[in-house]
Amino acid sequence: MSGNGSNPMRPFIGRLAGIRDVATGIRLFQVEMAETEGQAAAAGYRPGQFAFLSAFGAGEAPFGLASGRGPYLEFAVSALGHVTHTLHGLEVGDPVGVRGPLGNWFPMEEIKGRNVVILGGGIGGAPLRPVIHTILDNRDDYGHLTILWAARSPDLLVFTDEFDEWRAAPDTEFHVTVDRGDENWSGNVGLITQLLEQVAPQIDNTVTITCGPPIMIHFAFLTQQKLGFTPQQMLTTLEARMHCGIGKCGRCNMGEKFVCIDGPVFWQYEIKEFLEGFL
Amino acid sequence: MKFVTQDALRVWLDQLAQEVDLVAPRDVEGHVLYRPVASSAGVLFEYQRPEMSAKDYLFPATEVLLQIEQRGKEMTLEEIVPERKQVLFGLRPCDAHGAAVIDALFLQQEPVDAAYRRQRERTTMVGLACPRMWEGCFCTSVGGAPDAADHLDLLLREVDGGYAVQVVTEKGAALLAGLELQEKKGEPPPSQADGEIVPVAPPQAWRTLFEDEMWQRHGERCLSCRICTYVCPACRCFDVVDRVTSVQPGLTCSERIRVWDACTSTNYRRAAGGHNSRPTKPGRIRNRFFCKFCYYPEDFGPLGCVGCGRCIVSCPVDIDITEVMRGVAERSDG
Repeated sequence: MSGNGSNPMRPFIGRLAGIRDVATGIRLFQVEMAETEGQAAAAGYRPGQFAFLSAFGAGEAPFGLASGRGPYLEFAVSALGHVTHTLHGLEVGDPVGVRGPLGNWFPMEEIKGRNVVILGGGIGGAPLRPVIHTILDNRDDYGHLTILWAARSPDLLVFTDEFDEWRAAPDTEFHVTVDRGDENWSGNVGLITQLLEQVAPQIDNTVTITCGPPIMIHFAFLTQQKLGFTPQQMLTTLEARMHCGIGKCGRCNMGEKFVCIDGPVFWQYEIKEFLEGFL
Repeated sequence: MKFVTQDALRVWLDQLAQEVDLVAPRDVEGHVLYRPVASSAGVLFEYQRPEMSAKDYLFPATEVLLQIEQRGKEMTLEEIVPERKQVLFGLRPCDAHGAAVIDALFLQQEPVDAAYRRQRERTTMVGLACPRMWEGCFCTSVGGAPDAADHLDLLLREVDGGYAVQVVTEKGAALLAGLELQEKKGEPPPSQADGEIVPVAPPQAWRTLFEDEMWQRHGERCLSCRICTYVCPACRCFDVVDRVTSVQPGLTCSERIRVWDACTSTNYRRAAGGHNSRPTKPGRIRNRFFCKFCYYPEDFGPLGCVGCGRCIVSCPVDIDITEVMRGVAERSDG
């Protein structure tokens, strides 16, 4: 659960332990929790959960956690607004605030023994990184792993430094595509949905996990259905503007559901029941 | 019945004003508003419905959640804890009902909202029954009444020569010290609850009308001005922002503040990167009405509307929540 004991709106104090660029304009912040209670909360993190990251004085914003194998909570942050621009101006050692981890998580236990297809679009790849790590670190627990990775352009592909590891992993195939290439790009050009049709992964005993912009999730679901996946096989994690993360502020409702407490991870059959769409 | 004269009531209010933060209806340049008072002078005893609800005193429009100090790389976060007790005097029953609606989410759903709980705990609500229903009022349609005691700590009713006092809670009883009460025979007459009963369709009926053309019709008129949510005793959406208050060498002070928000505002659902999943006025106004009559009761129990009618009289383009309620009831019947 979130926040600081008696007050879930009060962030835990953390410190930036590492900062590196993972794509053009996207920076990965490694946060070390400074307080015991915050450390305990961070230790309970599960892939798929999100947290609010504060740049004190500028505000806070929610991010799907991109945590790697180290001891830190990791946030992939694209500089788009006031809070994220301020975060990009911080240095290692600077204090930040963290509320979380919050929300539900990918059912990594329940999908053991099954093949997994991962579709990551742009910064939407961030919360999928810990899913990939979980599978690769427990390789015998899962079936065949197919990773489809996409971005608008080559410079926006995230975690390129991990591509070699993913490619070389046993029983794993890795495909990458961009909407538009550049002079140095010799790989696939096209949408992730086209790549998915080309790769045409096995349907039986397979679960798909999609994360990206809403328009991508929408069309990725359609393509998956066309290929034969059922709503019970398709997982995603939704984005929404939110201000509390604990079901109070009203911002992230989709009909009677709240992305923050009912999600952010949903099966497609759940999303189909939403009165109001995410697109 | 317990009875108090107006003079004795004034003595009690003067005393309370010394001991607690006292809020009461006042005439502010021709507008009746709940405002802090320093004595009983200026407190209104005969008024209709204050133009704003008393929500601001439990869930302030702008509320400092944290004081933030940064010295070099060291942070200090301090929560603001109001020390004084607060008495809201002269509340209309619908405003207490509005607090109960917000309680259902902020107090009764885990995790509890700490700032709201502190405000709620320090506050005692003393109601003054409406003698009758006013323009736009429909409290009797949504579980209220002009003289409902339900969500108050004390309820006063105007009777000949003074007020009948009904003790509703222990918190109310604890406030009575210093109030010169008399025992009188008889009971106060009920208020005139003669407003038209507006039908309230159940959440399931609303669900069948999510795609109805009526949202287009109502939404086209909406100006996205947000006054409906501003005056509403039950709307609870909020935003959280930081503001820097002072910068000195080696010390930066800022505040994390919570401010009221409105689901009817244009960019309410706009996410980073520009995607807006509720980009039209019909979609936003539908969300507001669905929140009140479908989502809120399904998720948290009570209706999100107390029938105060403020949104009806405030709306610059005459969007009328009772017209929407009737429309849903009529369509879902067929």
